[in-house]
Amino acid sequence: MAIAIFLIAAVMAVAGAIGVVAFQQPIRSVLSLVVVMLALSILFLLLSAQFVFVVQIIVYAGAVMVLFLFVIALFGPARELAKTQLRFQSWLAGVFVFVLLVLIWTMLQGIQYRQPERADLGVFGTVQSIAVGLFTTYLYPFELTSILLLVAAIGAIYLSRKKIDEPEGGPVDGLRSATGTGGEPPPSFKT
Amino acid sequence: MSTMTLGGSDLDASWFLILGAILFIIGATGVLVRRNPLVILICIELMLNAVNLTLIVFSRQLQNLEGQLFALMSMTVAAAEAVVGLAILVDIFHVREVEDIDELSEMKG
Repeated sequence: MAIAIFLIAAVMAVAGAIGVVAFQQPIRSVLSLVVVMLALSILFLLLSAQFVFVVQIIVYAGAVMVLFLFVIALFGPARELAKTQLRFQSWLAGVFVFVLLVLIWTMLQGIQYRQPERADLGVFGTVQSIAVGLFTTYLYPFELTSILLLVAAIGAIYLSRKKIDEPEGGPVDGLRSATGTGGEPPPSFKT
Repeated sequence: MSTMTLGGSDLDASWFLILGAILFIIGATGVLVRRNPLVILICIELMLNAVNLTLIVFSRQLQNLEGQLFALMSMTVAAAEAVVGLAILVDIFHVREVEDIDELSEMKG
């Protein structure tokens, strides 16, 4: 049973990942990534990581992907032009990926699996055990994470603010021509 | 040696690790091949997810919760990275349309 679930989720994940890379339109890549994340969340549940499963669905498939979708909705679907690829890019990428695959494969062969520590699997990965870890042993990293999120939020607001003090720019020009307070008068007024 | 009893049947930990490696490599391929900056960010998210899978597999195999805690931390960092990266992209898109990441090469000296 677990093997069937693993195989289904793995096939979903790999197919979605190939879709992320292969689709030409960014919105299809984003939706393929949602498929990958849902498949990975199934695997997390299989590995008895319940809390990470919930966080994966809420934070990744919910928040982060909606953020990507908003950006795509703001700026429209930009197709990728094949002619802008570098000359040997596909070949070099293939060679690099092959080398990476061989490296990771050899590293996987050399893994020394330690004996498990025999935790109580009844409470392994539940919200309670995660919270005990987060709020006792790893309290300082947890608090630093909140500072990181604060910095990211402030940075995002700073980067995407309206630049009022700059006299030039696209949106300001558009406003000026729309209200008719500057620039050339319409041609019909010249006579 | 590395089998885990999941839901009544035995699965080998290396299957999950190989799946994580495949996803990571597909993401790396996307970063190398694709030209759209938005798609490159999406592929980076894919790579981060593959690493999260590896962390949770080792956490389960060693029956040690710290891998799951580290996966949570890495999810937070990935969310922050996505937010800041998308904000930078939006700021660039306000100035001009970018279809190719190689157009953004003013700072290469």
